[in-house]
Amino acid sequence: MAEVKRLSCEEAVREFFAYLDRALAGDSLDALEAHLETCLDCCDRLDFSRSLDAFAKTRLDASPLPEGVADRIRRAIRG
Amino acid sequence: MEGRFAAVARRKTVVTMDPEGRRRFEELTLPHLEALFAFALRMAGDRSAAEDLVQETYLKALRAFASLRDLARTRPWLFQIPSRLAIDRHRAESREVPAGDLEELDRFSLYDLIADEDPFPYSDRLHDDFLGQFRDEEVRNALRALPDAYRAPLLLLYTEGMSYRELAEVLGCPIGTVMSRIHRGRKILERELWQCAQRRGLVKSWQK
Repeated sequence: MAEVKRLSCEEAVREFFAYLDRALAGDSLDALEAHLETCLDCCDRLDFSRSLDAFAKTRLDASPLPEGVADRIRRAIRG
Repeated sequence: MEGRFAAVARRKTVVTMDPEGRRRFEELTLPHLEALFAFALRMAGDRSAAEDLVQETYLKALRAFASLRDLARTRPWLFQIPSRLAIDRHRAESREVPAGDLEELDRFSLYDLIADEDPFPYSDRLHDDFLGQFRDEEVRNALRALPDAYRAPLLLLYTEGMSYRELAEVLGCPIGTVMSRIHRGRKILERELWQCAQRRGLVKSWQK
């Protein structure tokens, strides 16, 4: 089995967003997970990035469709 | 008053399509109207501009309906239109991050600043407590401060759960560009929150 690449904390942090967005795979994913298993500081940093995403998402304003917009769009579509 | 998106749309409104085609178009696209409006509002900033942006989106979509091959992809196909319209609109206004600022931005770490500042010395949930100080409106303002080219992919990621590949398709750019915009968009959000905390006196340091 190929040896997993060892990451520095700086390298690990650069991969966090891709990891959170499920865009990391293969060797890169293995390397990050191996780093996280041994680095509590990076685990905390990753948790914060995750919290910040959840925090921003939950504060997006509710934007129900104002009255009349659907009719306006239908009229525009029908010419 | 009619805004610029609607004005452009009206000039090109005539679309040749039989009634059955229009009915099919409405059936496929109108279920996404509410989500498109919410996205347009977050991109355009106010209701009137959002309505214009959505109307322009639907008229463009109607004109291009024949090019939609995979009906299961109707939703991302629709989101592509307001995303690119909003980004193109502001490209002319140069709301990009200055190149000299990018290196500093990439190094910015809200996590480190909070840890250094330690605004809640007795907290064992320091970073969560810091985030808990913000009012909803302040977070929305921080998101609005992102240039459109950064805000669009971040919003689509947050609200539509799009993958980087989907974002690249929707925004018409390489995956590498998507990744850097998502990365920098989050960094700008962090920086805006920190600056907001400074303005409100939630943290003491003014020059970090």
